[in-house]
Amino acid sequence: MNQSINVRLFGAFRQGNPESSLTVEIPAGGRVTDLRQAMDSALPSDNARSLLKASAFATDSAVLDDNDVVPDGEISILPPVCGG
Amino acid sequence: MIHVDITESVLDPLAALEHCSSDAHGAADLFIGRVRNLNDGRSVTAVSYDLHPQLCRNIFNEICTEALAQWGEAINVYLVHRQGRLDVGEASVITAVSSGHRDDSFKACRYLIEQMKVRAPIWKQEHYTDGDSEWIKGHALRTSD
Repeated sequence: MNQSINVRLFGAFRQGNPESSLTVEIPAGGRVTDLRQAMDSALPSDNARSLLKASAFATDSAVLDDNDVVPDGEISILPPVCGG
Repeated sequence: MIHVDITESVLDPLAALEHCSSDAHGAADLFIGRVRNLNDGRSVTAVSYDLHPQLCRNIFNEICTEALAQWGEAINVYLVHRQGRLDVGEASVITAVSSGHRDDSFKACRYLIEQMKVRAPIWKQEHYTDGDSEWIKGHALRTSD
């Protein structure tokens, strides 16, 4: 059985993705590595797939590790940051 | 005392100094990050800041709490970042600290800005005079390969 994950896009991931989110399917109880794999298939360009390798996933309160089980609720993909 | 925020409004350095004010504090430091007109040899006209508001506030609070743990619970800290499109010269971020003595204020103020730059989920897209735009490469938050 699969679960649908809505992934909010930020920064360079918004380029060419005006919707600013993507919905992907992962196995129920799947981990962030499963989500990363699903995103790799869903992203529209080589640039975006390359950026995925350096990106983290997060909830609204914490950055997730690749081994973490994907929690319920909305998930965000965070490309490398550069505030200030 | 901690104050963090994300805003679309023009940043106010006086508000930062007002927060970082106490009769017991003999020192106050203020840092203002501004949009520069040149980056990597390209002429910049504006920068658009994209950010994750909820996570950003959490990370800002974490960083400020760490500063209090390191330089004392009595210090005041202020960390506010702007979002949206900013023209050259506009302030994108303000950090400020007040403390009993200057050494703690200098160090804590620098800690806030340096940690914010590598940990906060904020992204900037530069806009150039030739009409092109580019997302700036930054620090990866991913902890595993």
